[in-house]
Amino acid sequence: MPRYLVSRLLQAVLTTFGVMTIVFFVMRLSGDPVLLLVPEGATREHIDALRRELGFDQPIWRQYLTFLAGLLRFELGVSVVQRIPAWDILASRIPYTLALAGAALVVAIGLGVPAGVTMAVWRGRWFERPIAALVVAGQSMPTFLTGILMIMLFAVTLRWLPSSGVEGPASVIMPAIALGMLSMSTFARMARIAVVDELGKDYVRAGLARGLSPGKVVARHVLRNASIPVVTIAALEIGNLLAGAIIVETVFAWPGIGQLAIQAIQSRDFLVVQAIVLFVSLVYVVVNLAADLLYASIDPRIRLGSS
Amino acid sequence: MLKRLGLAIFALLASSVVQAQPFRELVTIDLPNDAATLDPHLQWDTDSYAIYRNIFDNLVTRDATGRIVPQIAESWRQVDDTTITFKIRTGVKFHDGTALTAEDVVFSIRRIIDPVLRSPQLSQFDQIASADVTDPTTVTVKTKTPYPALMAQLVKLSIVPKAVVERVGAQAFNLQPVGSGPYKLRTWQRGVSITLDAVPDYWRGRPTFDSANFRVVPDVATRVADLQTGRADIVRQLGPDEAVRLKTDARLQVLSAPTERIGYMFINAMSGPTQDVRVRRAITHAIDRKTLIDALLQGYGNEVDIVLTRANFGYVDGIGGNAYDPAKAKALLREANAVNAPLSFLTSPAYDRRLVEALQQMLQEAGFRVDIQTMDHPTFLRRRQGRPDEAGSISLGRWSCACQDADGVIFPLFRSGSTWAKYANPDFDKEVDAARSVLDEAKRLVHYRRAFEILREDVPGLGLYQDYAIYGARREVRWQPTANEAFFLFDMRWQP
Repeated sequence: MPRYLVSRLLQAVLTTFGVMTIVFFVMRLSGDPVLLLVPEGATREHIDALRRELGFDQPIWRQYLTFLAGLLRFELGVSVVQRIPAWDILASRIPYTLALAGAALVVAIGLGVPAGVTMAVWRGRWFERPIAALVVAGQSMPTFLTGILMIMLFAVTLRWLPSSGVEGPASVIMPAIALGMLSMSTFARMARIAVVDELGKDYVRAGLARGLSPGKVVARHVLRNASIPVVTIAALEIGNLLAGAIIVETVFAWPGIGQLAIQAIQSRDFLVVQAIVLFVSLVYVVVNLAADLLYASIDPRIRLGSS
Repeated sequence: MLKRLGLAIFALLASSVVQAQPFRELVTIDLPNDAATLDPHLQWDTDSYAIYRNIFDNLVTRDATGRIVPQIAESWRQVDDTTITFKIRTGVKFHDGTALTAEDVVFSIRRIIDPVLRSPQLSQFDQIASADVTDPTTVTVKTKTPYPALMAQLVKLSIVPKAVVERVGAQAFNLQPVGSGPYKLRTWQRGVSITLDAVPDYWRGRPTFDSANFRVVPDVATRVADLQTGRADIVRQLGPDEAVRLKTDARLQVLSAPTERIGYMFINAMSGPTQDVRVRRAITHAIDRKTLIDALLQGYGNEVDIVLTRANFGYVDGIGGNAYDPAKAKALLREANAVNAPLSFLTSPAYDRRLVEALQQMLQEAGFRVDIQTMDHPTFLRRRQGRPDEAGSISLGRWSCACQDADGVIFPLFRSGSTWAKYANPDFDKEVDAARSVLDEAKRLVHYRRAFEILREDVPGLGLYQDYAIYGARREVRWQPTANEAFFLFDMRWQP
């Protein structure tokens, strides 16, 4: 187990490092940030002077080494646009995204898993179709469209919920639904497949033969066994939620890191973009690691590290 | 509560005595972006200055008609071609209670031109050679050469308190700015909102609103929803389509003004088929500006026949020469032996796709083959400002110098040697060089007329429309937006 943990941690560090390297080079090769920082009429001398001041005139490998040296000291640099440390800018946004992603996950699991289990256990019954339709709709509606439609209905027409911003718990409802819809469909489908799979196994028949009620078999045995693929999906879905947050946070004016990412990319705020990517890749890596470790506690037959 | 009650009683009493200014306690404004900085000497983007110009006073400002008028400078005098003296107003206080002095004015000028600050605005002020206090209420500014656009540039110079900036440093000042304007900063919740409080004893009078809350709402549909649900009183940056939709709501209004921003088409005179002047002229006659403005901009645009708007000094009437005439365009193309000439149309997400495609259509009808190449904006800027053979045949631009002077528009766009120019004509260079080094306005206009006549013949670019700034607001807001897109809460009134 400790050996497994160490190798997984090493992998995690390597993955993060690889992502950072790719982002560093892609950002720098795609355009000149200095041109976006100066006013339109700036002369060539000023553009060159600013480029020197910011160190963008250095060879790219030297910029890369400087960047790595900064990372080792846990320094992400000072934003060239906003003139405050990139970490401060990022840190102020993290709680909002965590709150939104958490609420979206509650929506996704809270609706998705029961829907999937229902569809599996009562296959072929009349209510399977409307639930399936809902799941497909959640999967196929683009997030920006669900967002705008909800705002039109619940904020403008019915006046039940605030149209934007972060004022009180009511503010998170619409963004969480918009963000959670896609994942909800994934959870529903995965839960359905897993439960259907388990229902066909011998232990279910054995349980029923021994006189257990179908409800008890499902609740006590099937769900536990079916939950492994669902946990894996949950880990992957957290990554999808962070990606989806970019659109949802923009539509609902939710001040999380998704919205920050858009703004930072638009204004070519390099160091902030790098800080966001570092954070998101870390989250992704850590969550996946946690999911792997969780398997062992769900299913004791899985012994981590034993070949 | 008691305070609020007292205030209400006071307001009631006051209104019975004189025609008092009714004011709202809190006005809420939706902006598409957070302020990048609140230090006025750093970023100069529309959202940042919409906020911080309410916190600071500037040396001079523009009135509703666009004339440059006193603010912190009470008056000024041109001593000679390169020297100007400013009489500094007394009795103005910063929010920390200290008096604003000539020292602060000089400090502010020196600070923004100091390369160490790395201000993106440096190039707008770099013609200033020196600024000195010559007596307690006089500041003398010298320019490197005679520089007619100086006053237009100084409209953007906010005065910061020397003592505070020196004490706390640039980074802290950016987060906790202290100015002398009608509002002071209460809180800045990054990415969420910025709240300002009125300064009741502000030297120009009591501000209309007790406080103002600027919210960050990036999506335009959400800004409209905020206005419809009453979450916002004023929203910035609507598109023409949203403006048309807002007009159907009786509780709301659209406020708009033609700005100094010019929508134009760049034509590469140094590379590709557009090197032939007949091809460039053919482009001019192939474009139907009126249709573009009516159909795509919903009328929120004014036709122009030069690459400059009426809001800029140097605008000259009746240059002409660009009438929509598809037959003439076709004839010119045949003459140049360039029928089906391939034009690469460079564009980025910063430009309205529908406009790009409409122009493509018009050009193709006249006999061009137009290939639209979309890229991210930094790449677009790099190619547009780079070598002529990389800059494409044509592209769109929306240019504003924030100085309302032709010098800030056609000089950087077409003067040979500028990063944007893909065109070189010594006659044109002579005119724009002369126009930036004489102070006499009549003489400058003569140079600009000649410069625009040369551009009409050479067509290294063409003006399409004067852009509008469009705001949405509640019916009760009384405000006339201006050409320089200033957002002064002090100029707004609330009339239930």
